[in-house]
Amino acid sequence: MNTAAEPQLELRGVTKRFGGVGAVDGVTFQVEKGEILGVIGPNGAGKTTLLNCISGVHRVDGGDIRWEGRSIAGLPPHRIARLGIGRTFQIVRPFGSMTVRENAAVGALFGSSAARRGLKEAFEVADQVLELVGLKAKADHPVSALTIPDRKRLEVARAVATRPQLLLLDEVMAGLNNVEIDEALEMVRAVHATGVTVLLIEHVMRVIVGICRRAIVLDFGHVLAEGEPEVVLRDERVIKAYLGERYAKRLRGERGQDSAS
Amino acid sequence: MAAFVQLVILGLLAGGVYVAVGVGFGLVWGVLNIVNLAHGALVIVGGYVTWQLFTAFGLDPFLTLPVDAVALFVLGYALQRGVINRIIRAPLLFTFLLTFGLNLVIVNVLLLIFGSDFRSVTPTYSGQGFELGGIVIPYVRLASLGAAILLSTGLAFLLSRTRVGLSIHAIAADRDAAQLVGIDLRHTYAVTYGLGAACAGVAGGLIAMIQAITPTAGEPYTLQAFVVVILGGLGRVSATVVGGLAFGLVEAFGQSIPGSGSVFANAIAFGLMVLVLVTRPQGLMGRLR
Repeated sequence: MNTAAEPQLELRGVTKRFGGVGAVDGVTFQVEKGEILGVIGPNGAGKTTLLNCISGVHRVDGGDIRWEGRSIAGLPPHRIARLGIGRTFQIVRPFGSMTVRENAAVGALFGSSAARRGLKEAFEVADQVLELVGLKAKADHPVSALTIPDRKRLEVARAVATRPQLLLLDEVMAGLNNVEIDEALEMVRAVHATGVTVLLIEHVMRVIVGICRRAIVLDFGHVLAEGEPEVVLRDERVIKAYLGERYAKRLRGERGQDSAS
Repeated sequence: MAAFVQLVILGLLAGGVYVAVGVGFGLVWGVLNIVNLAHGALVIVGGYVTWQLFTAFGLDPFLTLPVDAVALFVLGYALQRGVINRIIRAPLLFTFLLTFGLNLVIVNVLLLIFGSDFRSVTPTYSGQGFELGGIVIPYVRLASLGAAILLSTGLAFLLSRTRVGLSIHAIAADRDAAQLVGIDLRHTYAVTYGLGAACAGVAGGLIAMIQAITPTAGEPYTLQAFVVVILGGLGRVSATVVGGLAFGLVEAFGQSIPGSGSVFANAIAFGLMVLVLVTRPQGLMGRLR
């Protein structure tokens, strides 16, 4: 790693409490420009809360979040979006009263560096983005006519239309079948290939292993492990966090036998 | 038959004002989820702007309407940005209390400035009209209907075809998601309330030409706006237009029932509102969400 280049996004001891419970508790890590970073962890580990802190939905109770060297903690969500941090929701939240194309156009109209983008230009950007995520054929459909995988695509399209430099994806693969996951993986790769850094929260392990060079494991609001996905997933603390102490012990026993034989 | 046609025409003409009173109220209700109890007071502010410009400078009252719109937009933007935005995530009751309080403040400021005298705006053509097939059509009423239709069309265009309109739609659909694509929630809320106030201002200008106004005359317009929006259905300008015209028609026919006069007109209109709420709660033109 080049120490001279500063990370694109840096979290320093970020803490968010809900009524005394630290949902995110002293989380520190960096996101390098151009990487795909995976964030995994059991339910309730604080993954979505972490995204909410970065995107400004929650105000952090402690620590600092720095974007390209400048603190963005405490900025309202729309300011952070305009700085170039796009975000999707785990449970898709399209603008239901609009068409697919209009949804994407809203992202293009108001997102980063959109200061003086006209309506016509925004719809052109929307069409490009819809092509990128594979929704071009359904551009004029009302959102209510979309299937769940397509709604997830739209969620990504709207975020990508804001022209982010960093895209925060909150479980875009959840609820998809294997074929749909492959398609969604292709979509994420396509978005990444346009030069967007990706931070992705995921439950589906094969996604993390298949697409990320680096992964961070959260548990009870703490960073439990960090490193290459294959290595991190073998970490005993990680297995314990996911599957409990007994399973970890059993696995340790089996592995012990494996190496003995 | 001629009497029937006359009633229809008079009802539609009266409906123009109700359309103007209703559109701003419906916008604020639909997007901000605020039942704006200060709406009638804002209508009266618009009436006084028109009256002031008419008496001081002799400006034609219809030419004062754009001034009403701009002045009330600024007032509305400031009210939302400075006051109402503070309770935007509070329960509905708080918005009732706050807008009711704003209503009292506005009314009393108007009393301080203009006193409690009745004021009316009477251009040379007021009271005149033309006859069409035995039916007298007053100029002011006809032009008011035209102005109200123009106002609604302009608002509908703004909401569906412009950057501002898309931001309002997005905020109304999902305010959290809208913020995360870069839309400024507080600014958009203030613009929405400003637009609602601007429509109220134009309605007030129209009303000042039709009847005398006084600072305390606003409350019936809040009620009328409420009925009009319920009748038409929340969420679309075109629905409010239908609601306003329907309200005008019902009122005209209600007043024509022998022995009823204006006493029962309101009762009939509100009865119809209850009937609509029972049988078609989404309104005549509304869509269920």
